[in-house]
Amino acid sequence: MNNFQEKRIPIIKIGHYLIVSIQVDMHDKLAIQLQSQILEEIEKTGAKGVLIDISVLEMVDSFIGRMLSGMASMASIMDAAVVIVGMQPAVAITLVELGLEMPGVDTALNMERGMEMLDKRIARMDEE
Amino acid sequence: MIQAFTYDPSWTELAKYDINNENDIVMVRQMVRQYAKNFRMGIVEQTRITTAVSELLRNMYQYAGGGQVTINDGNVEEHHALIVTFEDEGPGIENLELAMSDGYTSGAGMGYGLPGAKRLVDYFKIQTEPQKGTSVRIMKWK
Amino acid sequence: MEEKLNLSNVKQRIEQIEEVLSSVAAGDLDIRLDIEKEDDLTGIEEAINILIDDLTYELKQSKNMQNELQEKLKKIQDQQKTIIQQQEDLMELSSPVSKVWDNILILPVIGTLDSQRTQIMMENLLQKIVETGCTMAILDITGVPTVDTQVANHLLKTTTSARLLGAECMISGISPAIAQTIVHLGIDLSAIKTKATLQDAMIYAMKQNKKRLEIDIHQSMDSFEETEES
Repeated sequence: MNNFQEKRIPIIKIGHYLIVSIQVDMHDKLAIQLQSQILEEIEKTGAKGVLIDISVLEMVDSFIGRMLSGMASMASIMDAAVVIVGMQPAVAITLVELGLEMPGVDTALNMERGMEMLDKRIARMDEE
Repeated sequence: MIQAFTYDPSWTELAKYDINNENDIVMVRQMVRQYAKNFRMGIVEQTRITTAVSELLRNMYQYAGGGQVTINDGNVEEHHALIVTFEDEGPGIENLELAMSDGYTSGAGMGYGLPGAKRLVDYFKIQTEPQKGTSVRIMKWK
Repeated sequence: MEEKLNLSNVKQRIEQIEEVLSSVAAGDLDIRLDIEKEDDLTGIEEAINILIDDLTYELKQSKNMQNELQEKLKKIQDQQKTIIQQQEDLMELSSPVSKVWDNILILPVIGTLDSQRTQIMMENLLQKIVETGCTMAILDITGVPTVDTQVANHLLKTTTSARLLGAECMISGISPAIAQTIVHLGIDLSAIKTKATLQDAMIYAMKQNKKRLEIDIHQSMDSFEETEES
């Protein structure tokens, strides 16, 4: 069953934001693919903010964790802000125990808070 | 092949899986999550062992190109344990002590994730020999 | 009347004795020797029968004992299970989480904290944060006399995990004794927001809430102005 590799994670544009909802158990290749995809979309659409929804993910290991951190850094270089939304408690605890604390990465409890955060970020960026 | 771990005959073998590609990794991860659920482990404990297994599977695939994973159910001392053993015939780890220390990253900038995985489980043992291979065994109980 | 030993059937009787003995060895304890005559061999035959009787009796005794022990063991195991469950329930009860103000969760902790209890507390708190959607949480340890390294590290883990969820968790009510312990243990708590009293923590949290609301108002005012111009 080679379906895993052919899966593409959908990226939806809402207003100035991109919303990425990760619903599948990702293997490394898919994670890297997603990273490139998101950056391409940012460039294509000129989006100022990306909300990555991981509320369905039951596990985030060091590779995925680093991919998410990396995502935030890369996007900021392209002048877009990234917010990780909906991390599950068990996932948060495990990441901390793994030693991955993702400093400098914005996180939000849910989509509503996530958008609030992005609104603030972008308002601030506009003022500069 | 290096001297692998021994399997106590009283243990029940739940699964034996060859890791050849990324799909196998995703499959074994999900298997382990299910077995952990069957063991009635709480959700945080389930996540811990699944994450540890994911780290070790990645190592095996990344550095040895693949290997074999065996999942057992057995009694170890007074614990009813979920036992996962990883065996590969890869290049082995040159400096084990360094690899087991926090803050170590290998050339690919990722490190082996070994100290992290060790923190997530109740038992962790690794055997490695350069050019011969690596074996890792982890256990989680309760 | 004692008879003289009849050689012709001695062989037969000896064979019988052998048969019975091997049957007993094989596990048949119901078998006995038929004692017909009274002569020199009778003594041995009777002795063998008595031996088998004794064996049977001993075996029954030990089997009964084994059964008794098994039952007792099961009872103890059941009791153990109950005790463990009660302990878990107690631990859950001893750390209630209550929502106080809009967006602020307060977790008052009372009594000695051990590693296990702190772990459960952490999981409960994080779960409640997700359930209620509160982005501010206060862990009040005014009622906790001391902490050790493990507990302090768990507390640190709790606040870091809360941040990953998108919430801010602070600790209030750190006693001078605990503050000293923490410093002596070399634990770095600079990453956590701490306040001396629950009151201070509440004031901080409410200010944060207000800030959030003010920014929202400013933003909607800006967009209002924009539309006016166009």
